[in-house]
Amino acid sequence: MSAVGTVAVLTQVTVVVAGAPLLTGLMRQVRARMEGRAGAGVGQPWRDLRKLLRKQPITPVGTGPAFRLAPLLLVATTLVVAALVPLASTATPVRDSADLLVVVTLLALGTVILALAGLDTGTAFGGMGASREMTVVALVEPTILLSVVALSIPAGSTNLPAIVAHGVHDPARLASPASLLAGVALAVVTLAETGRLPVDNPSTHLELTMIHEAMILEYAGGDLALIELGAQMRLTVLLGLLTSLFVPWGIATGTAAAALPLALALFAGKVALLGAGLAAAEVFWAKMRLFKVPELLAGSFLLALLAVGASFFLPGN
Amino acid sequence: MSTGTYTQLLDLACGVFLLAAVLVLWRRELTALVRLFAVQGVVLAAIAALSGIHEHRFELLAVAVGILVLRAGVLPYLMRRVLAASGETRETEPLVNVAASLLTAAALTLLAYAASRPLVELAPSPATRALPVGLAVVLIGFFTLVTRRRALAQAVGFLLLDNGITAMAFLATSGVPLIVELGVSFDVLLAVLVLQILTTRIHATFGGTDIDDLRELHD
Amino acid sequence: MSGLVGPALATATGLAGVGAVAGAFTLERVRPALVGVATAGVGVAGLTAGLAALGGGAPWSASLPDLLPLAGVHLTVDALSGLFMAVSGAVVAPVALYGIGYTGHGVSARGTQAVLPVFAATLLLVPAASSVSSFLLLWELMAVTSLLLVLAEHRSRAAVRDAGVWYAVMTHLGLVALLIALALFAARAGGETFPALRAGAGEVPPAVRSTVFVLAVAAFASKAGTVPLHAWLPRAHPQAPSHVSALMSAAMVNLGVYGVIRVGFDLLGGGPRWWWLVLLTAGAVSAVYGMLQAAMATDVKQLLAYSTSENMGLVLIGAGAAGMFAAAGEHPLAALALAAALLHVVNHAAFKALLFCAAGSVLRATGVRDLDALGGLRARMPVTAGLFAVGALGAVALPPGNGFVSEWLLLESLVHGLGVPGTASAVTLPLAVAAIALSAGLAAATFVKALGVGFFARPRGAEAASARESPPVMLAGMGLLAAGCVALALVPGTLAGGLSDAVAATGLTGPDGPSDPSGPAGSDAGWALSDGGVDIRLDRLATTLSPLWVAVALAVAILAVATATRLLTRHPRRVGAELWDCGGGAPSARMQYTATSFAEPLQRVFDDVLAPEQDVDVTPTRESAYLVERVRFQRRIPDRIEYRLYRPVLAALAGVGASARKLANGSVHRYLGYGFSGLVAVLLVLAVTR
Repeated sequence: MSAVGTVAVLTQVTVVVAGAPLLTGLMRQVRARMEGRAGAGVGQPWRDLRKLLRKQPITPVGTGPAFRLAPLLLVATTLVVAALVPLASTATPVRDSADLLVVVTLLALGTVILALAGLDTGTAFGGMGASREMTVVALVEPTILLSVVALSIPAGSTNLPAIVAHGVHDPARLASPASLLAGVALAVVTLAETGRLPVDNPSTHLELTMIHEAMILEYAGGDLALIELGAQMRLTVLLGLLTSLFVPWGIATGTAAAALPLALALFAGKVALLGAGLAAAEVFWAKMRLFKVPELLAGSFLLALLAVGASFFLPGN
Repeated sequence: MSTGTYTQLLDLACGVFLLAAVLVLWRRELTALVRLFAVQGVVLAAIAALSGIHEHRFELLAVAVGILVLRAGVLPYLMRRVLAASGETRETEPLVNVAASLLTAAALTLLAYAASRPLVELAPSPATRALPVGLAVVLIGFFTLVTRRRALAQAVGFLLLDNGITAMAFLATSGVPLIVELGVSFDVLLAVLVLQILTTRIHATFGGTDIDDLRELHD
Repeated sequence: MSGLVGPALATATGLAGVGAVAGAFTLERVRPALVGVATAGVGVAGLTAGLAALGGGAPWSASLPDLLPLAGVHLTVDALSGLFMAVSGAVVAPVALYGIGYTGHGVSARGTQAVLPVFAATLLLVPAASSVSSFLLLWELMAVTSLLLVLAEHRSRAAVRDAGVWYAVMTHLGLVALLIALALFAARAGGETFPALRAGAGEVPPAVRSTVFVLAVAAFASKAGTVPLHAWLPRAHPQAPSHVSALMSAAMVNLGVYGVIRVGFDLLGGGPRWWWLVLLTAGAVSAVYGMLQAAMATDVKQLLAYSTSENMGLVLIGAGAAGMFAAAGEHPLAALALAAALLHVVNHAAFKALLFCAAGSVLRATGVRDLDALGGLRARMPVTAGLFAVGALGAVALPPGNGFVSEWLLLESLVHGLGVPGTASAVTLPLAVAAIALSAGLAAATFVKALGVGFFARPRGAEAASARESPPVMLAGMGLLAAGCVALALVPGTLAGGLSDAVAATGLTGPDGPSDPSGPAGSDAGWALSDGGVDIRLDRLATTLSPLWVAVALAVAILAVATATRLLTRHPRRVGAELWDCGGGAPSARMQYTATSFAEPLQRVFDDVLAPEQDVDVTPTRESAYLVERVRFQRRIPDRIEYRLYRPVLAALAGVGASARKLANGSVHRYLGYGFSGLVAVLLVLAVTR
């Protein structure tokens, strides 16, 4: 297990790092085509990152260590999560530590440090973004944890590889109401966590509406490159987590080396498909008013609670 | 049909049934409410048909067809007509805001589960285990009736309540006798017709269907 | 090991006496240092005694029949007492060190300094009491000494007196409830020592048992700041001198939890499910409501006080869940939930003591507690800011903080409790998980606010701009606490044996006898903290958390990312740059977000719960009603529960008081007549009933 498992972890982290900008490029391209534009091409985010990395790094006046550390920590937490989530194989050396609660709290840690960096700039924009982001985080948390509970009941554990392996071996479970409701709830909070429509618009710079962009307004150059990469990796990892939990087919559960390339290809395909679908849906969505977002999150919370309830109401066989 | 598939399909139908009720609380557009009610009617018919097929009681299939026609066809049609006549498209701010309504729905669902537990334990089967869903829909319908302002939203609340009762009947006893079901259905139809007339009258008098306006009639 | 307990406790008591004498009779110049050293000694002795009791062996006990008339003083230190004693000791020692530097504001006055060591000693001795009379005596001594300490700064601020009145009244109402509960219990059980109560608990009728439980839990929960009996806590904790706040919030509130566990699990031996449902509900409400108030608070110490209410709520959720599981016969699961609650007590003590000390450090340097007037302290007080960040990381329940470990354990126990059959667990446990999650999310927002607004960015006031770092002795005290936080976060496994012994001491290990719940390999169901992390093994699951692994992985990832960026970029040196100002000139410090504006979206979301009071006052100019001269906007977020629950009671009491005045019209004959008729009435009642 150890050799193949280690290779699996390393390749899946590499695929996430290399593929995250491509996924964003693909989503922008799908959106552009559906809106009748030519689009900049799938490789554009990578070109943007290269451009940003070449610029002179700057430190805005009056910012401190939190501002400088935040981009590093954002990418670092996402890297650790990318290593923990069983995207390609469940038989990895880190599988004992791959707890679902650890994964979601590590992602929250990245958000928290970014909010601190936003406050650290001492501008109205930074504070505004941080305040809004933390409001969303506070409301998202109950949904996430209840979905985790709903998903862990059938598998009897919050250990991610165990949940995924359970899904692979018992596919009927995935179509149960509990799993479907939890899936919808998790999908909604994924949109909120990654700052997609209808909660936040990743391509806006309007004070009235922006959340994520307001926090990172002072970043430039290499720091901005890291933040962009971090955000793209978060999206990739979270979409990957959704596919691992709800369409786990193809994920290697054994130690056979041959299953790995297939699993990686399937992972890339599933995430690309999901991302393209999301981009296509976003064309038809409008951003919600900030104070309507709690309604959306209350709805997803209700779905998560129903998911937990459903595993009692409708226990199947 | 094997028991496994039956259970799976029944669970799925009950899940959609409950979800439609919850979404009624979520949405503000009155047309969406009517559409959700129609979806729920279809699922209710599916539940009736499923228990009919499973227990080899084919008169239930006739009931299912009746439910389909009435609750997914006639009633939504009537309500759409009322809607078109009144010219209103959205529920105004309900008495309890949407986020709080959704949380209340969550609490009501848990309450339904806790309250129907003894009933389920009397005769555990896939159908009776889904009984709390029916009770939850009854409670959610009642809640809609209490908190929504527009007459049409209230009508949908009332019909949700009735759908919940019917679903409980199917889940608990595999359906009431055909004649009773027919009577109830006509009752409901009559109620909706009365509501239609009432809504039109309210609209003609006040220029809107906000039920709160009826307070003005108290003396 | 338990042989050490007696000498250590004797040393602690002796040192407390020495400290009290030193506080009362030495010169003001040397007083804080002498008292501080003596109190730190009390703490170290307490820690030693606690650890010795946790180290295994038979419980230590002693009986001093001559110390108290009639009943005598009985002391027993088992593992449960040892745990709480060790926590108190571990908090007292560094905080006392910190207190040497925390002078001024009337804190170094004779009375305050003389009482401090006594208060510290009672924190150690309350868990050691093993009879009703000794427990009540020590409990009351703790309440009175802490009240005196809260009042230390009463000359400089009127709010202190108000807080003192609230605290005095509530703590004594609690004492009355506790007195009734324990007296009733002792009368029915036929003895007032704890062993006698334990032995007689079985014969007590259920109604009496329930009365005892409800009254005792009300008293203990009030001490732990549980909603709705929390009203004193957010008043008294912020108004006390900061090191006293740290002692109260990190050590004294724990004793409320100790009381619940000791009486509920050990003495009464568990009870019906509704007891624990009540406890769990109270905990969940406190967790969410406390954190919501903390998220709205702008006074940094009040914020920390409300967060104490939240954390104690989490602990009570754990205790309530443990009781529920035990009532359902799921003993390994109950032991897990209780262990999670106890671990959270330890973690909370570490980070809350640190946070209160850091807030006190800021208060001493600036004289300001209002976050809206702070800011920019990370440049002026870098060590304090760093230490506050360590504490805040513990409080937000995110890895790699220490609070995460215990909240993870708590969530795991609830998740696996869902498998326990029964409607109650199926309905309450998901809601409890949601409450914990909501409070964790709000905690993240709250501590981002406290750290980001209070310490980061630029100063919002002159006081914050001229702040200077605290003296080394205060930093040393806080450093010790921070080291404790880090150790608890990375190697919680060091507590393994102690926690399982403490849980075993409550008798929760089941009817099969006290088998070790964390047995290394032998038992198939249980939980274990090892150096590498936390393992849970129950019959339905196995799962692991390795905090050390997570921390190392994060560190490695940061290093890798930093190296990669360094290699890829062409410019090794950073240059300064202006902030983005939208072309409108440099943004001033007044344009920054404040704590109030940061919390505003959350306040709007929870408008229905918080019910803020808003006041807009527009003054038009004399010439025209359409030209505005002045707009005054005011918003207050009163504690709604206090407002709705306490005000009517207080108003009713005031009404009774006012009407009682009519009875006293100044006539001596009338007063004598009252006495006479009272006497006659009592005699009449006696004559009729006997």
